Amino acid sequence: MDAKLSNQSALTWFLQRITGLFLGFFLITHINVQHLFHDITIHGLINFESVRENLASSNLWKVFYFLFVPMVIYHALNGIWQIIADFRISRGAAILIKALFWILGALLTVIGALTLNNLF
Amino acid sequence: MPFKKYLGGLVEDAELNKNAGNFSYWAHRITGIGLSIYLLLHIYVLSSALSGPEEFTQRMQDVQSPLFALLEIILLAGVFFHMLNGLRITLVDFFGWTRHHKLFLILAVVFFAALMIITIVLQLPKFDIGNYGAGG
Repeated sequence: MDAKLSNQSALTWFLQRITGLFLGFFLITHINVQHLFHDITIHGLINFESVRENLASSNLWKVFYFLFVPMVIYHALNGIWQIIADFRISRGAAILIKALFWILGALLTVIGALTLNNLF
Repeated sequence: MPFKKYLGGLVEDAELNKNAGNFSYWAHRITGIGLSIYLLLHIYVLSSALSGPEEFTQRMQDVQSPLFALLEIILLAGVFFHMLNGLRITLVDFFGWTRHHKLFLILAVVFFAALMIITIVLQLPKFDIGNYGAGG
Protein backbone atom coordinates (compact mmCIF):
# COMPACT_ATOMS: atom_id res chain seq x y z
CA MET A 1 0.00 0.00 0.00
CA ASP A 2 2.79 2.38 0.92
CA ALA A 3 4.53 1.70 -2.37
CA LYS A 4 1.38 2.70 -4.25
CA LEU A 5 0.94 5.89 -2.27
CA SER A 6 4.53 6.89 -2.96
CA ASN A 7 3.80 7.17 -6.71
CA GLN A 8 2.56 10.70 -5.99
CA SER A 9 5.03 13.15 -4.55
CA ALA A 10 4.62 16.53 -2.91
CA LEU A 11 7.30 17.95 -5.20
CA THR A 12 5.44 17.08 -8.43
CA TRP A 13 2.22 18.44 -6.90
CA PHE A 14 4.00 21.70 -6.01
CA LEU A 15 5.84 22.02 -9.36
CA GLN A 16 2.57 21.45 -11.25
CA ARG A 17 1.05 24.48 -9.53
CA ILE A 18 4.12 26.69 -9.87
CA THR A 19 4.61 25.90 -13.58
CA GLY A 20 0.85 26.36 -14.01
CA LEU A 21 1.05 29.91 -12.62
CA PHE A 22 3.95 30.80 -14.92
CA LEU A 23 2.19 29.19 -17.89
CA GLY A 24 -0.85 31.38 -17.27
CA PHE A 25 1.33 34.39 -18.11
CA PHE A 26 3.36 32.69 -20.86
CA LEU A 27 0.38 31.22 -22.67
CA ILE A 28 -1.77 34.37 -22.63
CA THR A 29 1.20 36.35 -24.02
CA HIS A 30 1.99 33.69 -26.64
CA ILE A 31 -1.62 33.37 -27.82
CA ASN A 32 -2.10 37.14 -28.03
CA VAL A 33 1.14 37.92 -29.84
CA GLN A 34 1.33 34.97 -32.23
CA HIS A 35 -2.32 34.18 -32.85
CA LEU A 36 -5.33 36.19 -31.65
CA PHE A 37 -4.05 39.67 -32.47
CA HIS A 38 -2.51 38.54 -35.74
CA ASP A 39 -5.17 40.10 -37.99
CA ILE A 40 -5.01 38.25 -41.30
CA THR A 41 -6.76 41.16 -43.10
CA ILE A 42 -3.72 43.35 -42.25
CA HIS A 43 -0.77 40.99 -41.87
CA GLY A 44 -1.82 38.13 -44.14
CA LEU A 45 -1.47 34.47 -43.17
CA ILE A 46 1.13 33.39 -40.65
CA ASN A 47 4.30 32.26 -42.45
CA PHE A 48 8.01 31.78 -41.80
CA GLU A 49 8.83 35.46 -42.29
CA SER A 50 6.00 36.78 -40.12
CA VAL A 51 7.00 34.48 -37.23
CA ARG A 52 10.67 35.46 -37.58
CA GLU A 53 9.72 39.13 -37.67
CA ASN A 54 7.63 38.78 -34.51
CA LEU A 55 10.41 36.97 -32.65
CA ALA A 56 13.12 39.38 -33.83
CA SER A 57 11.26 42.35 -32.34
CA SER A 58 12.98 41.85 -28.96
CA ASN A 59 15.77 39.75 -27.49
CA LEU A 60 13.45 38.98 -24.60
CA TRP A 61 11.48 36.60 -26.83
CA LYS A 62 14.46 34.24 -26.72
CA VAL A 63 14.36 34.15 -22.93
CA PHE A 64 10.58 33.91 -23.06
CA TYR A 65 10.38 30.92 -25.42
CA PHE A 66 13.35 29.00 -24.01
CA LEU A 67 11.60 29.09 -20.62
CA PHE A 68 8.08 28.61 -21.94
CA VAL A 69 8.66 25.51 -24.10
CA PRO A 70 10.37 23.25 -21.48
CA MET A 71 7.87 24.45 -18.86
CA VAL A 72 4.78 23.63 -20.91
CA ILE A 73 6.22 20.19 -21.80
CA TYR A 74 6.91 19.50 -18.11
CA HIS A 75 3.43 20.67 -17.06
CA ALA A 76 1.70 18.53 -19.71
CA LEU A 77 3.64 15.33 -18.99
CA ASN A 78 3.51 15.81 -15.23
CA GLY A 79 -0.25 16.34 -15.46
CA ILE A 80 -0.74 13.14 -17.45
CA TRP A 81 1.56 11.35 -15.02
CA GLN A 82 -0.56 12.50 -12.07
CA ILE A 83 -3.69 11.13 -13.74
CA ILE A 84 -1.95 7.78 -14.35
CA ALA A 85 -0.54 7.70 -10.79
CA ASP A 86 -4.10 8.09 -9.45
CA PHE A 87 -4.87 4.64 -10.86
CA ARG A 88 -2.61 3.09 -8.21
CA ILE A 89 -0.37 1.28 -10.65
CA SER A 90 2.40 -1.01 -9.44
CA ARG A 91 5.80 0.38 -8.45
CA GLY A 92 7.47 -1.22 -11.50
CA ALA A 93 4.95 0.24 -13.92
CA ALA A 94 5.32 3.65 -12.26
CA ILE A 95 9.10 3.62 -12.73
CA LEU A 96 8.76 2.51 -16.36
CA ILE A 97 6.17 5.16 -17.23
CA LYS A 98 8.13 7.88 -15.44
CA ALA A 99 11.28 6.91 -17.35
CA LEU A 100 9.39 6.97 -20.67
CA PHE A 101 7.90 10.37 -19.84
CA TRP A 102 11.33 11.83 -19.02
CA ILE A 103 12.69 10.52 -22.34
CA LEU A 104 9.67 11.87 -24.25
CA GLY A 105 9.96 15.20 -22.42
CA ALA A 106 13.66 15.50 -23.21
CA LEU A 107 13.03 14.61 -26.86
CA LEU A 108 10.23 17.18 -27.22
CA THR A 109 12.38 19.83 -25.50
CA VAL A 110 15.24 19.18 -27.93
CA ILE A 111 12.90 19.34 -30.95
CA GLY A 112 11.37 22.54 -29.52
CA ALA A 113 14.78 24.12 -28.91
CA LEU A 114 16.05 23.26 -32.41
CA THR A 115 12.84 24.63 -33.94
CA LEU A 116 13.16 27.86 -31.97
CA ASN A 117 16.79 28.13 -33.03
CA ASN A 118 15.68 28.04 -36.68
CA LEU A 119 13.05 30.69 -36.07
CA PHE A 120 15.28 33.17 -34.23
CA MET B 1 -8.32 -5.34 -11.50
CA PRO B 2 -7.40 -2.11 -9.67
CA PHE B 3 -7.50 0.04 -12.82
CA LYS B 4 -11.07 -0.93 -13.71
CA LYS B 5 -12.16 -0.73 -10.09
CA TYR B 6 -10.68 2.74 -9.72
CA LEU B 7 -12.26 4.00 -12.95
CA GLY B 8 -15.60 2.50 -11.89
CA GLY B 9 -15.24 4.29 -8.56
CA LEU B 10 -14.67 7.61 -10.32
CA VAL B 11 -17.74 7.18 -12.53
CA GLU B 12 -19.85 6.15 -9.53
CA ASP B 13 -18.57 9.17 -7.62
CA ALA B 14 -19.46 11.49 -10.51
CA GLU B 15 -22.99 10.06 -10.61
CA LEU B 16 -23.48 10.39 -6.86
CA ASN B 17 -21.98 13.86 -6.51
CA LYS B 18 -23.36 16.02 -9.26
CA ASN B 19 -21.77 19.20 -7.96
CA ALA B 20 -19.51 21.98 -9.19
CA GLY B 21 -16.37 20.46 -7.67
CA ASN B 22 -16.87 17.14 -9.40
CA PHE B 23 -17.59 18.85 -12.72
CA SER B 24 -14.42 20.93 -12.46
CA TYR B 25 -12.37 17.82 -11.53
CA TRP B 26 -13.47 15.99 -14.70
CA ALA B 27 -13.33 19.05 -16.95
CA HIS B 28 -9.83 19.91 -15.74
CA ARG B 29 -8.53 16.43 -16.48
CA ILE B 30 -10.27 16.10 -19.86
CA THR B 31 -9.07 19.55 -21.04
CA GLY B 32 -5.58 18.73 -19.69
CA ILE B 33 -5.38 15.53 -21.74
CA GLY B 34 -6.74 17.35 -24.81
CA LEU B 35 -4.23 20.19 -24.46
CA SER B 36 -1.34 17.74 -24.04
CA ILE B 37 -2.31 16.01 -27.29
CA TYR B 38 -2.57 19.42 -28.95
CA LEU B 39 0.91 20.33 -27.65
CA LEU B 40 2.36 17.32 -29.47
CA LEU B 41 0.61 18.34 -32.71
CA HIS B 42 1.72 21.98 -32.27
CA ILE B 43 5.36 20.94 -31.86
CA TYR B 44 5.01 18.62 -34.88
CA VAL B 45 3.63 21.41 -37.11
CA LEU B 46 6.21 23.98 -35.98
CA SER B 47 9.13 21.54 -36.24
CA SER B 48 8.72 21.84 -40.02
CA ALA B 49 10.96 24.91 -39.53
CA LEU B 50 13.79 22.37 -39.31
CA SER B 51 13.16 21.49 -42.98
CA GLY B 52 13.44 25.11 -44.11
CA PRO B 53 11.29 28.24 -44.59
CA GLU B 54 9.27 26.87 -47.54
CA GLU B 55 8.26 23.72 -45.70
CA PHE B 56 7.30 25.76 -42.62
CA THR B 57 5.21 28.24 -44.62
CA GLN B 58 3.52 25.40 -46.49
CA ARG B 59 2.60 23.55 -43.32
CA MET B 60 1.40 26.76 -41.68
CA GLN B 61 -0.79 27.38 -44.73
CA ASP B 62 -2.28 23.89 -44.36
CA VAL B 63 -3.48 24.71 -40.84
CA GLN B 64 -4.97 28.13 -41.63
CA SER B 65 -8.55 27.94 -42.87
CA PRO B 66 -12.08 28.62 -41.57
CA LEU B 67 -12.20 25.02 -40.28
CA PHE B 68 -9.00 25.53 -38.28
CA ALA B 69 -10.31 28.91 -37.04
CA LEU B 70 -13.25 27.01 -35.54
CA LEU B 71 -10.94 24.36 -34.07
CA GLU B 72 -8.84 27.17 -32.57
CA ILE B 73 -11.91 28.54 -30.79
CA ILE B 74 -12.58 25.09 -29.31
CA LEU B 75 -8.89 24.82 -28.37
CA LEU B 76 -8.92 28.24 -26.69
CA ALA B 77 -12.08 27.30 -24.78
CA GLY B 78 -10.08 24.37 -23.36
CA VAL B 79 -7.07 26.59 -22.65
CA PHE B 80 -9.07 29.28 -20.85
CA PHE B 81 -11.09 26.81 -18.78
CA HIS B 82 -7.97 24.87 -17.77
CA MET B 83 -6.13 28.09 -16.95
CA LEU B 84 -8.87 29.67 -14.85
CA ASN B 85 -9.78 26.45 -13.07
CA GLY B 86 -6.08 25.74 -12.48
CA LEU B 87 -5.72 29.17 -10.90
CA ARG B 88 -8.73 28.43 -8.70
CA ILE B 89 -7.24 25.08 -7.61
CA THR B 90 -3.87 26.72 -6.86
CA LEU B 91 -5.42 29.51 -4.78
CA VAL B 92 -7.53 27.02 -2.82
CA ASP B 93 -4.53 24.68 -2.35
CA PHE B 94 -1.97 27.33 -1.38
CA PHE B 95 -4.13 29.57 0.77
CA GLY B 96 -6.62 27.04 2.09
CA TRP B 97 -9.55 29.05 0.74
CA THR B 98 -11.71 25.94 0.57
CA ARG B 99 -14.74 27.83 1.90
CA HIS B 100 -14.70 30.09 -1.15
CA HIS B 101 -14.01 27.54 -3.88
CA LYS B 102 -17.54 27.75 -5.27
CA LEU B 103 -17.28 31.53 -5.52
CA PHE B 104 -14.00 31.08 -7.38
CA LEU B 105 -15.66 28.66 -9.77
CA ILE B 106 -18.41 31.21 -10.49
CA LEU B 107 -15.75 33.91 -11.06
CA ALA B 108 -13.84 31.53 -13.33
CA VAL B 109 -17.00 30.93 -15.40
CA VAL B 110 -17.59 34.72 -15.73
CA PHE B 111 -13.97 35.35 -16.85
CA PHE B 112 -14.21 32.35 -19.17
CA ALA B 113 -17.32 33.77 -20.86
CA ALA B 114 -15.62 37.19 -21.28
CA LEU B 115 -12.46 35.64 -22.78
CA MET B 116 -14.51 33.51 -25.17
CA ILE B 117 -16.45 36.54 -26.45
CA ILE B 118 -13.17 38.40 -27.12
CA THR B 119 -11.72 35.28 -28.79
CA ILE B 120 -14.70 34.79 -31.10
CA VAL B 121 -14.69 38.46 -32.14
CA LEU B 122 -10.94 38.35 -32.90
CA GLN B 123 -11.33 35.09 -34.85
CA LEU B 124 -14.14 36.42 -37.07
CA PRO B 125 -11.91 37.55 -40.01
CA LYS B 126 -10.59 34.00 -40.26
CA PHE B 127 -14.07 32.76 -41.21
CA ASP B 128 -14.11 34.89 -44.37
CA ILE B 129 -12.61 32.79 -47.17
CA GLY B 130 -11.84 36.03 -49.07
CA ASN B 131 -9.13 36.79 -46.51
CA TYR B 132 -7.10 33.75 -47.56
CA GLY B 133 -5.65 35.32 -50.72
CA ALA B 134 -2.31 34.19 -52.07
CA GLY B 135 -1.19 32.84 -48.71
CA GLY B 136 -0.24 36.18 -47.12
